[in-house]
Amino acid sequence: MRLLILGGVAAGTKAAARARREYPDAEVTIVTQDEYVAYAGCGLPYFVGGEISEAKELIVRTPDEFKQENGITVLTRHQATQIDPAAHTVQVRDLMTGAEDGFPYDKLIIATGAVPILPKIEGINLKRVSTVRGLTDAKKIRALLDTGKLHTAVVIGGGFIGLEMAENLARHGLTVSIVELKSAILPGFDPEIAALTKNHLIEHGVQIYTGEGVTRILGNAHGEASGVVTDARTLPADLVILSAGIRPHTEVAAAAGVRVDVRGLILVDEYLRTSVADIFAVGDCASVRNRITGADTYSPMGSTANKTGRLVVANLFAPTEAFAGVQGTTIVRVFTLNAARTGLSTEEARAAGYDVETVLVPTPDRAHYFPGNRTIITKLIAEKSTHRLLGAQVVGEGVVDKPIDTLALGIAMGITVDALSGMDLAYTPPFASALSSSIVAANVLLNKLAGKVRGVSPCELALDDPALQLLDVRTEPEYLIAAIPGACNIPLAELTERRGELDPARPTVVVCKVGRRAYSAALQLQRAGFTDVRILDGGMTAWPFATE
Amino acid sequence: MTDYTLNCRGMQCPGPIMELFKQMKAAAPGDTAAISVTDMGFKKDIEVWCRKTKNTLVSLTEDAGVITAVVRKG
Repeated sequence: MRLLILGGVAAGTKAAARARREYPDAEVTIVTQDEYVAYAGCGLPYFVGGEISEAKELIVRTPDEFKQENGITVLTRHQATQIDPAAHTVQVRDLMTGAEDGFPYDKLIIATGAVPILPKIEGINLKRVSTVRGLTDAKKIRALLDTGKLHTAVVIGGGFIGLEMAENLARHGLTVSIVELKSAILPGFDPEIAALTKNHLIEHGVQIYTGEGVTRILGNAHGEASGVVTDARTLPADLVILSAGIRPHTEVAAAAGVRVDVRGLILVDEYLRTSVADIFAVGDCASVRNRITGADTYSPMGSTANKTGRLVVANLFAPTEAFAGVQGTTIVRVFTLNAARTGLSTEEARAAGYDVETVLVPTPDRAHYFPGNRTIITKLIAEKSTHRLLGAQVVGEGVVDKPIDTLALGIAMGITVDALSGMDLAYTPPFASALSSSIVAANVLLNKLAGKVRGVSPCELALDDPALQLLDVRTEPEYLIAAIPGACNIPLAELTERRGELDPARPTVVVCKVGRRAYSAALQLQRAGFTDVRILDGGMTAWPFATE
Repeated sequence: MTDYTLNCRGMQCPGPIMELFKQMKAAAPGDTAAISVTDMGFKKDIEVWCRKTKNTLVSLTEDAGVITAVVRKG
């Protein structure tokens, strides 16, 4: 068998390596435009920042090693220019010499990945303006930083790469600003989680301008970037990072008649087969099914690329191993804050037609008395009628990867909030609380689903509502440290005697530090005849807006 | 001048700040209280509390997951 693979980062090389094991006699060839193969693309920001000291640490295997150890031919700096499905050939150009050659194949795997979306603005071609797509980009940026002459940077785009780059540029002592066209950073996360992450970045000196478009990049006399102009301001920039999203790199496949969607995403079935016989597609250029909604989506993640690259090999001659799809599980670290998600966001769940209930629950990440514990905030999203858990997000300076993976597994298995509440999870003080963060969140959600209490998300609390009665039931010193503007303070211990200061007919929102005291207060007020009582989800701990 | 020591390790909100509040109320101007806490949220809280109550944060250190703040009355 002649197996030809277009693309050699994660999915392509994974497929090549497994094909070599499964089909020892196959002739396996990788064709890639890049000068490097098999590198850890997701590690690039950390190499830029210096946490990974040398570029070679990110390279899993070189072309020579592929040849010598695996008998796989790797052609770097080679570009596929045309696929002829009828003749089973691919026309390939050597980017160094310009020479063209035809490569016959029996099976073709397209793993051409994605390319950055470049804003069509003046100054995009200036020096010191860079994407962060490959090792070549990252080495160039690192070399610039190592000169010590850069002082300011603007990152265009507040997605994962943008946030990771902001952190890593700040590690070099640069003053960093992020400009994001959308109203929030951290796409795919609920607005409270994104707002808390934004606050954390600001605390670490990163300026964030959301809802602003970049109109122009300014240059100096040497043709180097010197500033960025947005709709609202001009920012100094010795370095400009373009991280405003990526799109599938599939023009050659589409021209050959391989079915793509409007974005150019190659549509594949669960066996990674394209619409054309003997042509498969994996990684960042191919569609994946959302395992909750069933919709074909674009989810360009390294984890998916590795999985599909490995799976496709089993399906070259017959549909054998199906890819179950994705559920949007992702995680990011910015400075000392960690944010992770799995399943559907609140917005995605509503868009898919689910009637949902949500909670936002701060807890320690291990026993509250154990030194080193940190607060994490768990958001759960469940369908009201079935109690099925649809999505979860966890943010905080503590451990979030453990709960998110537990929740991801639960969601994949169709877990209900009731079942989550009863999970037998690992417990001992250095690692967890007796009731783990996920179980506490499930219990709060069950109280809400049972109608015992109603909540309001910080992003939905209308502080400008003149009828609103905002009651803070924390102690006086806590209230003094930070309170929501307009909140009146009646500590929980005094609520019974001082209840008369409140109007039972007005809509009342009760707030405390995490929600526990607010819940007790809300129950007490409801029993006393207050008709419209809600608690502030997540309390002051998850409140991402101004305090006084 | 008295130096008080408050072990508030293991206490969750509002425990540590309440203990400090009570101690400072009873203390004389110039007295200090060294409070040790395992709730990391205390780190931010204590700075704001001292500023707003016009007490002096003499030092704020963290070692092996334990925060120690020394506060002087006045």
